[in-house]
Amino acid sequence: MTLRMQSVKEGVYEERPGFPTQYGPERSDHQPGVPFWPHEVYRDLVIIFVLMAILLFLSAAYTPEVGPPANPAIQPFIVPDWYLLFSWGLLKLADVLPTIVFTDPLGNLINMDAAFWGNMLTFPLVLLPLLLLPFIDRGRETRPAKAAFRTAFGVAFFLGFLFFASLYATNDRILESWPFIADDALKWMVIVPPVLIFFATYVGVRRLGFRDMYWWNLLTIGAAFALVLLMTLWAFALVPWSIDGMDPISRLGTSLNPGTLPLTTFMLIVIIFSALLFYATAMLKEKKAKEVVLASSVIVFFAVVVFAKLFADSNFPATYATLKTLMLYSNFFIALPLFSLITFYLGTRTPYSTYEYLLNECYQCGKCHTVCPVTKVEDDALGGLNLVYNTFKKQHDGVPLWTCLACDACSAVCPLDIKYSDYILEERSKVATQGAAANGGRRYGE
Amino acid sequence: MARESLIGRLNRKVFGYLVSRFPPAPWSDLTRRTVETVQRQVPRSHAEKYELKTIWYWYPLYCLGGISFVAFIILTITGILLGFYYIPDGTIGFTRTGDVTSPAFRSMNFIMNDVPFGFMIRGLHHWSAHVMIAAVFLHMMRVYFTGAYKKPRELNWVLGVVLLLVTLFFGYSGYLLPANDLSRGAATIGINMAKSVPPLWLGQFQTLVFFGELDPTGFYIIRMYWFHVFILPLVGTLLMVLHMALVWIQGVAEPH
Repeated sequence: MTLRMQSVKEGVYEERPGFPTQYGPERSDHQPGVPFWPHEVYRDLVIIFVLMAILLFLSAAYTPEVGPPANPAIQPFIVPDWYLLFSWGLLKLADVLPTIVFTDPLGNLINMDAAFWGNMLTFPLVLLPLLLLPFIDRGRETRPAKAAFRTAFGVAFFLGFLFFASLYATNDRILESWPFIADDALKWMVIVPPVLIFFATYVGVRRLGFRDMYWWNLLTIGAAFALVLLMTLWAFALVPWSIDGMDPISRLGTSLNPGTLPLTTFMLIVIIFSALLFYATAMLKEKKAKEVVLASSVIVFFAVVVFAKLFADSNFPATYATLKTLMLYSNFFIALPLFSLITFYLGTRTPYSTYEYLLNECYQCGKCHTVCPVTKVEDDALGGLNLVYNTFKKQHDGVPLWTCLACDACSAVCPLDIKYSDYILEERSKVATQGAAANGGRRYGE
Repeated sequence: MARESLIGRLNRKVFGYLVSRFPPAPWSDLTRRTVETVQRQVPRSHAEKYELKTIWYWYPLYCLGGISFVAFIILTITGILLGFYYIPDGTIGFTRTGDVTSPAFRSMNFIMNDVPFGFMIRGLHHWSAHVMIAAVFLHMMRVYFTGAYKKPRELNWVLGVVLLLVTLFFGYSGYLLPANDLSRGAATIGINMAKSVPPLWLGQFQTLVFFGELDPTGFYIIRMYWFHVFILPLVGTLLMVLHMALVWIQGVAEPH
């Protein structure tokens, strides 16, 4: 009777290649969740007590002061709490926007000044899109690793834009501490680094999904190179536009200036570096390009350190003037090659760690099983072997891991583009590494 | 076949929208059963149901809403205690030695120096506020990055953004209360921002609504006090209950 049942069961499974005989423990529909009492309650209590302990420590060790009383006669120098800094920074930034004054049809005077633009930047431009987000982004994809645009935008906005806007709120203190930083550089910092962060994250996240991002790298590095080149040409070619002569970029052409040599050297380093990056990405094979980029980055890093040290030793005011100029253009000269480097690294790595989560997409269509040549010849696999699903569920008994040919037929038919053979190779290398560790550092067969 | 009437189509559209987001399950029954049964269980999650690989190290990120709620409870308790001693009066006066002071400022110093453990209560209130705002902000980032705001949870995202605004306004109105120089400076900025909205009458009207005056003389303290201890807690608590009820109804959007 049992045998009969077994054969009937197998017969049923035979007709549904996506649902083969199960290896490992029986699947059941009943899976009790975690009991609320005591598991969840204990966990929550631990969190609450730890939080309480931190708060008690903070209030005992760092008791907030009341400070001097509000005095109408004194205009205090204040900085708001950190969570309102972004708004304060945007309010300060709004100086760059034009003041518009006009009378509306009803006869009201409309005065759009810096305070108004600051208001607009904080409320309608930041908070309104936030409010409407679910109605703007209608896609169904929730995984951050699969929604590259959303993730990149979020990183650029929350960690880039809001951070640098908050940073700009403290611009007077920064300028006081580091006088060589220009205020304009800090202003550009609210725009340029977030854009670069967006590109770096976008390329990196797309690469997490195993897309070929090499051409994107070429694009970002090409853009960085072009911008650096354009700015350098502009700096070298432009007639002096600064009458007081304090801007060394305009004084580059006029030699005999102590600031000229360090600045020219540094700009040459930057442009040679960008050119090298561009050449490597555009002309060389991926592996060679990676080596060249790594080597040139290390060399350029040490070159910058050595040159800075040399110039600082020989002529400090010149180095200071150079820093002052470079910081003014730092968002384009320094951040661009740096971020294109980060983008290159993120875009060419092999992110095996994300495999298991990409396998979550499998919906057991069974196409991989149908095309798999192993299932046609291998005895262990004859009963059916849904490779992706069973490996992922750890129900493979080691069968797909070691009988797989890595022929990639399954990946070719997979409707969700799960690169299965890469995953198999990664798992095998893990096992081999474990074996090697047990074998005194030698791999099998050595 | 006759076309369905306009009212009928509208009905289907509206009810379809609502039902697809808030399924007509017997929520009151389920809640009662959950409360009454001895072995209460958290419902099986999406990842558990479909035996998906879960990203377990992301789970602490799913505590952030709870942490902000715990901080809110601590804030409520310490706020009630502070309320026994705080005087919401920013009228400028002078001490015998000629220093500027106000009843609010004096009561703050009383809390810090004379009330037993008053400095601890205020410290707890201060740091819980920071923890709550940080937790709310990180909670929003978690929801954004895991795409948890998508259908059917749009309404909860909107509620969450309103709650974020409420929390920020809580923080702002809170640090206007001590009547110190930070309070006055921040009130000046807030009043100028509110006034800057054209046309003139609208800016002045909303300044009067939020601050009660067009220049920070000290009256703004009683207005901010009322926002801080009555209006915002009322609105905030109602919205928080709704926010969590919707999480209960729609389930947590899990990482997988």
